[in-house]
Amino acid sequence: MADYTVEIENVSKRYAEHVAVKHLTLRVPKGSAYGLLGPNGAGKTTTIRMILNIIAPDEGTIRILGAPFNDPRITDRIGYLPEERGLYRKMQVRRILRFLAELKSVPRATADKRITEWLERFDLKTPEKDWGLAKIDELSRGMQQKVQFIGTLLHDPDLVILDEPFSGLDPINAQALKDTIVELKRRGKTVIFSTHVMDNAERICDSVCIIARGEKVLDGSLAAIKASHGSRNVALSLEGSPANGVAEILADSRLVNRVDDSNRYFEVEMAEGANPQELLHRIVATGAIVQRFELVQPSLHQIFLERVGARSRSPGEEAWAEGVEIGMTGHG
Amino acid sequence: MGKLWTIIKREYLERVRTRWFVIATVFGPVFFGSLIVIPAYMAKRGKASTEFTNTIILDATSAGIGKKVADAMSVRREPGSIAPIVRVVPPAQLSQAESTATHQVMRKQASGYVILDDQTLKGEQLRYAGRNATSISDMEQLRATVRETLLAERLEEVGVKSAKVKEMTFMPLRLNTERISDKGRGGSGTVSIIFAGVVGFLLYVSIILYGQNVLRGVLEEKTTRVAEVVVSSVSSETLLAGKVLGVGAVGLTQQIIWVVTSVIMFKLRAPLLARFGVNTLPFQMPDISVGLGLLLLLFFLLGFTFYASLYAAVGSSVNTEQEAQQAVQPLLIMLVATAVFINPILMNPTGRTALVMSVLPFSAPIIMPLRLALGSVPWWELAASLVALALSCFVAVWIAARIYRVGLLMYGKRPTLKEMGRWVRYSH
Repeated sequence: MADYTVEIENVSKRYAEHVAVKHLTLRVPKGSAYGLLGPNGAGKTTTIRMILNIIAPDEGTIRILGAPFNDPRITDRIGYLPEERGLYRKMQVRRILRFLAELKSVPRATADKRITEWLERFDLKTPEKDWGLAKIDELSRGMQQKVQFIGTLLHDPDLVILDEPFSGLDPINAQALKDTIVELKRRGKTVIFSTHVMDNAERICDSVCIIARGEKVLDGSLAAIKASHGSRNVALSLEGSPANGVAEILADSRLVNRVDDSNRYFEVEMAEGANPQELLHRIVATGAIVQRFELVQPSLHQIFLERVGARSRSPGEEAWAEGVEIGMTGHG
Repeated sequence: MGKLWTIIKREYLERVRTRWFVIATVFGPVFFGSLIVIPAYMAKRGKASTEFTNTIILDATSAGIGKKVADAMSVRREPGSIAPIVRVVPPAQLSQAESTATHQVMRKQASGYVILDDQTLKGEQLRYAGRNATSISDMEQLRATVRETLLAERLEEVGVKSAKVKEMTFMPLRLNTERISDKGRGGSGTVSIIFAGVVGFLLYVSIILYGQNVLRGVLEEKTTRVAEVVVSSVSSETLLAGKVLGVGAVGLTQQIIWVVTSVIMFKLRAPLLARFGVNTLPFQMPDISVGLGLLLLLFFLLGFTFYASLYAAVGSSVNTEQEAQQAVQPLLIMLVATAVFINPILMNPTGRTALVMSVLPFSAPIIMPLRLALGSVPWWELAASLVALALSCFVAVWIAARIYRVGLLMYGKRPTLKEMGRWVRYSH
């Protein structure tokens, strides 16, 4: 029981017009970074809201930190960052943080001490300027996001839930967020975050669950998922523009099953029984200069495309893989 | 309970800290102060200003009426003002005398001049030109004085002795009113009407102001998504309750400040009025018992809760200020419709309209307190009003909490009434 922070058992949630989550079962191991992946409208936010007891499931059970999800005591041990962020615009930063801490039953003195620490850590309190005394609407967007992130962590929660935490972050803030998630995990906290940016998930997560259309597509530890998807993938980089003939080779269905073409970088999935050596030979023969040729496990991005994208190609279901392209924006 | 307190505290403190609150709170006593001073000042002016007697009387009659008018004016003379000047003018030179007088008025040697001629003697017309020609009270005084003088003149003509004439024509009739209620006589009629009007108006204004405040607060939390964070820590019912109670406490604070400063001003009204040169006290204190005070408070709390929870429901179901303004129309119509009836009910507080509006939930929190302030209300009417209001308050809160819980997390299209009905029926 204690091995899992969140246990979702056969949970469904219906709205008047559609079913948001269908018979979902998943387990989040204690102390892990867990990615909830899926295209837009897959039911990620609904799942998160049910974990937070903001909405109740129509059927199924949810246990958090070993207690039923609606146990009022556990809310103080959860930190939540919603997808679209905002704070009371006219309120002073310190007061807002104190308010959020108080909602999680943190004593005033402890809260004040932690607020100062966090503000200093995120450069919101420097010898020159203390943004803690400013009002929210005097802060830049990036600073507001930092404040909200501080509010999520002030009560030192055991379970941190971040809904699309990377959306709208500049590279510096994204890096700071990544560092904080890793640090939380090292301190034994469980972090669940939803995203459709596979790169971030691949770098941070121990385990993932991919959901689409309210249903689980696959879940498990990242290592196990990758292993089960074979190692018939080749990472290929060329110098300069690809020479003539490379495109034809990559389009050869006897050799290549599918390819993710990023102009100079290709992720190639070999066809059943094909020899990667032959692929290398033929590419070199075109005169192209190979910078990198490596047998790799498929990226999470590839797996996602394969598992979610494939289903979307069945008749009349084109629409719901649209979240996938947005995933590309997360590179770098 | 601790978290509810956290929410109430935030709602309260963040509002009390705003400039808007400070301005509105100061405005109350200033408004009330002017309510005491201005009518008293006007009443004093009503006795005619010092300019009234600073007049040139051009007497074009041969009857010597000018002197008599001047005497009559002097009776009403304010201390320290200049006595009227009488010039007897032959009718042929009247226009020349008029232009001389005009110049004198222009040079501020007099406030104006009045012309007494044959037509005046016949009681047909009186002419006046002067700087204070727009002062209603001065002109009314002038007309009354000349009229009195002419009347005295006519009485003397038919043989009434002049001493007797003065006695007969001088009658500054004052109307003193007194109210009789079930408890007997007490207080003056106008005072309790003014008091009741103020009570009704105050309730109306504060319900609208603070209802809108609740709406804006809910909308802000929804659009900034703060609501999601808060609702992950406390239930939506707690958030709603905290908001309504917090904003209600702000309204109550403001009204307590208003009432306390007004009462202090009222107690100190004698020295206050003396500063404006008024020595009489124009009205007495309305008699407010502790029981009446508590009843008024109870009605405010019920009425505010009724409207505030509905305002919150509206706020949670819309996405923008514009949508909110549309969606709030039905609530505003209910409030404005009630306000329209304040005056008629002040005039007839025991009629059928008053009775009906004391029981309807949307008007009861304004009309019933108004009637209570006006005088006694049969106990069963009071009980019916309270029960109806408390019940509808309960229903409104119940419905609002359900709409609020769902609406707060619904973005995008504004829901139809049918959809909102479905939200209410959701069991969780």
